[in-house]
Parts: sequence; C-alpha cells; structure tokens
Amino acid sequence: MKRTLRIFRFHPEQDTRPHYATYSLEVQPTDRVLDLLEQVRAEYDPGLAYRRSCAHGVCGSDAMRINGRNALACKVLVQDLSTPVVTIEPLLGLPLIKDLVVDMEPFFAHYRAVLPYLINDEPLPADGRERLQTAAERDRFDETTRCILCAACTTSCPSFWANGQYLGPAALVTAHRFLFDSRDRAAPQRLQILSARSGVWLCRTAFNCTEACPREIHITRAIAEIKQSILKGRPAV
Amino acid sequence: MKGGLAMQNTAPRNFETFAWRAMRISAFLLIPLVWGHMILQDVVVGVHNMDLGYVAERWASLFWRIYDGLLLGLAFAHGVNGLRQVLRDYLHGEIARRIVNWGALAFWLILTLVGFAALIAGVRAQ
Repeated sequence: MKRTLRIFRFHPEQDTRPHYATYSLEVQPTDRVLDLLEQVRAEYDPGLAYRRSCAHGVCGSDAMRINGRNALACKVLVQDLSTPVVTIEPLLGLPLIKDLVVDMEPFFAHYRAVLPYLINDEPLPADGRERLQTAAERDRFDETTRCILCAACTTSCPSFWANGQYLGPAALVTAHRFLFDSRDRAAPQRLQILSARSGVWLCRTAFNCTEACPREIHITRAIAEIKQSILKGRPAV
Repeated sequence: MKGGLAMQNTAPRNFETFAWRAMRISAFLLIPLVWGHMILQDVVVGVHNMDLGYVAERWASLFWRIYDGLLLGLAFAHGVNGLRQVLRDYLHGEIARRIVNWGALAFWLILTLVGFAALIAGVRAQ
C-alpha cells in the first residue's frame, strides 16, 4: 500500500525556518512509523535526524508527534493511522535541534529537580542486606515505576507549553514513584519541592499526559495523589 | 502504616498550596450561593423588577447581607486568583510575576472593600 509521509524538517545550518517535506512510500500495514522513517533515511535522505534506540517501546528515544499526537514511533503501526498522509513532527515545548530531534536537557533538568532516587539514611537492617517491603507496599507505586522518560507526556501538557518552568508530568510521575515508596524517608523534602511555584499546582488536569503516555500510566491520577499528599503532609495512602 | 508512610504531618505551607486549596473550597461554597442567587434574582424576582427599593428591602435583612457578602468575597477572590494563575502561565519574568501578584491583590482588595462598604452602609430607599 502507498502512504505519504509529511515530515517536519529543519537544518540549523541551512534553514532559516522549518518546512515540511513529503515522501511517497510503499509500506505494509504492519510497518511501524519508525520503519517509515528508516525507509526515508535509506531511500531519500540519509540526513534525516531523529532519535531511536531499542525500537521496541522500552528506551523512550523516539517520542514524536504523529498526526498531531505524541507517541513512540516504534509503537504506532501504519494500519492504526487512518489518514493517507502521515504527518510527523518533533515534540512541542522543547528547543528544536534538527528535524525531529529536540533538546531534552530542560526535561531532564526537571527530572533531576524532583530528587529521582531513593533517600534513606537510616542504618541498614540487621542482616545488612535489603530494606524489605511488603507486596502491597511495592504495589502502591508500581505503576509509576513504568515511566521510560520519553517525554511524550510533558511535551503534550499545555501547562508545560505555556510555562517551561513547570516540572511537568514526567518529573511528577518520578516524584510519585519515590514519594510512595515505603523505604523512602525524604517525603517532607519532596513535598516542599512539589508544592513550590513550579510544582504540582500548575497541573490543570487537562489529561493530555495520560492520553499521550505509551506506558499507559494514569499520570493525572498520580499527580492528583501528589496534590492530596501535599495537603495531608504525608504520602496519601 | 509502616515506614515512610507513617511520618508526622509536614504539610508544606506556601502561598501556592494555600491558593490551590482556597480555589477548591471557594468553588465548592459558590455552587449553592450562585445557584441560590440566580434562581432568586433571575427567576423568582426577575431582573426587570429589581430597583433601589428592592435592594433596600433585601439588605434590611442581615441574612441577605451576609449572603451577598459571602458571594462577593468568594466569587471575586476565586475569579481574581484564576486570572492570576492564567497570567502567570504567560509571564515568565520574576518582576512581571510580582507585578501581577501585587496588582491582582490590590485589584481584589480595593473592589472587595468597595463592595463590602456598600453592603455595610446599605441603601436608603428614596
């Protein structure tokens, strides 16, 4: 079957402004959008820039806008796209570097801001090995451990588009993962960070993040649980 | 509860947390207040039947003055805080944000005081 790929192109050394280039491809219904990009690079333009790594929806490298919706190019099949022309654009809200590649540093700066690691200065248990937790305690934050930091959520968030200082859904998902971990001891510190001006209150529950997440994390709910935790002063169980 | 979930209450106290909570509480209280106001003024009384005499009669009752005072205080605070939040989405400089914060506070305070002055002073029907 035939498909036309309409790709956002920008070469920082040659272009003064971005433009769209179209490519006509012979594709299979079961091809992924990533396969189409690979085909364009192989057959038309080896200079086409995009990120990819595992190509199996785990590394989170190839998040981009596909027909206006954030998704992983390696998880979207041609047969799932109803339009004959498939438009591919870079993520919104992050500085553009080239073609479909954006600068992820502001995204990772927000990630680092929420202390994305377990904090527990208490002595190790008597056996000197693991800090144990029950299956139920582990289950409390299981969903938010699934985040692959692809940025599909944060760059679909209108609050983040309007205000780049907003921590954004992905950083909040990470914050949730540690806040609700029974082994963590930094809840007061985390809640201070999350309740600050650039924190969780800038979420206006647009639900774009939940819709964009390729890992099907209920992000808006996780953010709501953080809000409840701030009001209670401790993780809202 | 065990471990990290059993720690003492350390609710962060900052303005944005207060403002978020105030928005929810005021919205909740405004639902009956606004519906009551609209049904009474627009349906039961009717906008064409309202004149100074009606307002004087209404404000002769302390209940309606408190009712209107709550409506004014909550609705205006809710609206101005909403406006402040929307503007803050688009103003990224610290100085601009301070101006909006203080400007919104002054706007809210002055108009609320004028409204409360009218409520307290009442109306003398001619």
